[in-house]
Amino acid sequence: MTGSSVPEAAERRLATESFSSGLTVPDFAACLQMGLRPVGLVQGFCAMQWGWYGGAQSLRGLSPLGVGDGGYSRVWYCPHGFVSAEHPTWGQNAEQTWVEDAWAAGFDSAFARMLEEARALGANGVIGVKDTSRSTQANVTEFHVLGTAVKLEGAAQGAASDPWSTYLAGQRLAKLIEAGFAPVSVVATLSSVRVWSYCMTRALMEGYGYSMGAIGASGWAGGGSLGAAQEVDQVTEARIAARQIAKERLRQRLGGDILHGALVGSFVRELGEGDQVVECTLRGTRVRRFKDFDPIEAPVVTVRLS
Amino acid sequence: MSGDDIPGAAFADLRAEVARAFAAPEGKTSGTDRGVTSDLSIDEALLLHSIGWEPIDLIFGASVVSIPVGIWTWGQGALDPASSAHAMAMTSASRRMEDQCASVGGHGAVGVRVAIEIHPRHVDVELTGTAVRPVGRAARRQRPFVSDLSARDFALLQGSGWAPVGLAFGASFVYAPRRTAGTVLRQSTQNVELVNYTQALYAARESAMERMQRSALEMSAHGIVAVRVDEGPMPFARHVIRFSSWGTAVALVAESHVGRQPRVVLALDDQVVQFAPEALHGG
Repeated sequence: MTGSSVPEAAERRLATESFSSGLTVPDFAACLQMGLRPVGLVQGFCAMQWGWYGGAQSLRGLSPLGVGDGGYSRVWYCPHGFVSAEHPTWGQNAEQTWVEDAWAAGFDSAFARMLEEARALGANGVIGVKDTSRSTQANVTEFHVLGTAVKLEGAAQGAASDPWSTYLAGQRLAKLIEAGFAPVSVVATLSSVRVWSYCMTRALMEGYGYSMGAIGASGWAGGGSLGAAQEVDQVTEARIAARQIAKERLRQRLGGDILHGALVGSFVRELGEGDQVVECTLRGTRVRRFKDFDPIEAPVVTVRLS
Repeated sequence: MSGDDIPGAAFADLRAEVARAFAAPEGKTSGTDRGVTSDLSIDEALLLHSIGWEPIDLIFGASVVSIPVGIWTWGQGALDPASSAHAMAMTSASRRMEDQCASVGGHGAVGVRVAIEIHPRHVDVELTGTAVRPVGRAARRQRPFVSDLSARDFALLQGSGWAPVGLAFGASFVYAPRRTAGTVLRQSTQNVELVNYTQALYAARESAMERMQRSALEMSAHGIVAVRVDEGPMPFARHVIRFSSWGTAVALVAESHVGRQPRVVLALDDQVVQFAPEALHGG
């Protein structure tokens, strides 16, 4: 499928007089009160395959990978000197930018196709957005974005600019606007960090780290003590780095606006012997303040009788 | 008759606000909230603003700590290496979250989600929350607090003269001694309490709760609220009882507790009664 053109069958369906909506009845009622009229359930799909993904997981090179585009990378080296040819003398945490870019391309395509349908309906915005991404094969991910296109009563039909969009609908959207924030767009990103374990990480993740920790970098007599708990530095850093990368990637899309209602998802795929892939998804609604800060009064405490 | 009494006036105001929101696509670019990221709901954000606090940034903490191989298989009594690994993971993750909170100018983190996973060879802890501060206030000198209370609970706590001081936690892993072959055979047809498991549960509970309360005292807290417990055997170590507990340590910061007199409300949105046509036939 090229670009973001709406399929002919979808155009015919969208041109009918009746509307469809993914809103619940309370959300539907709240939107009518706000002057937002549903005009159609709009959707976008994209199935993405990334070729590098499978290979990069299973192959370990002779030396650490070079990571381009300023991506996160850190290398650890074995403190024991040469032990054997099979000894993992280096370890690396490396941001998999190609995975992140492929995910972003898939999500953005599905999202753009949904907006294209909304534009074809002459909508001003899309509310109650839901998105799913699931792996159908080892290196194939399917993206599905859907939402309810709405027209703003009194606004110009078929606005020239892109429709705004939000994960919110109903009373939650009403409260957001009353609080002085206008939704701009849904934003989502994925970060991916590959952990290539080195000997220390491998030993610790396999539960042998206590003796390895005691050996340490300064020989058998130095380092930690037997029996003491020991943190796996390389893996811990990867877990935090994945989240920070996701946040920074999303912040780049905010353009100085606010990220509201962020939803963080984290996934760890253990690949054995300390090797793993840490992925983090972050999504939310980009909002912009349109009026000055106006806090509500402190709410009254109530007890509900039932 | 005031404007408030006019039916539909509130709707008209809301429509005007909605029209205003979307008529100004450029919006306001000034203010202190540029680039704010938050996982709070809109209700929580409004509630925080109503007590003079604001979200600043999404923050994280994580730690993975090794557990010595073989400790789950044959043992006796408390498995201290596993308890120490759990404590270290929670402490390190909390410290990292506090450091992140301080670096973005936060006074604390609310709504922190605590994810603990015990694997055979390592324990993983992940914390996710939003850094908050009093509106427009600079970072404070004290160490930021980490709390798993929602913004609603935080607002209520503040209004009652209390403040969260940190995440208190404790965990214990106790090996339930295996019964002898003779005992297993003798008890196989009886309704009998497995005393070894019961005693292990009690021992694990006591150690974990004691550790949690000690961690609260180390933070100069007066108590712990919203304590959660997670207990039971683990799929990879059926003879080991796991008991972990955590909650938000709180301290009284006002001279005394400030009583809140709640207003009693009667909600009229009961569930709709469904009509069953077959009831008319008496069947």
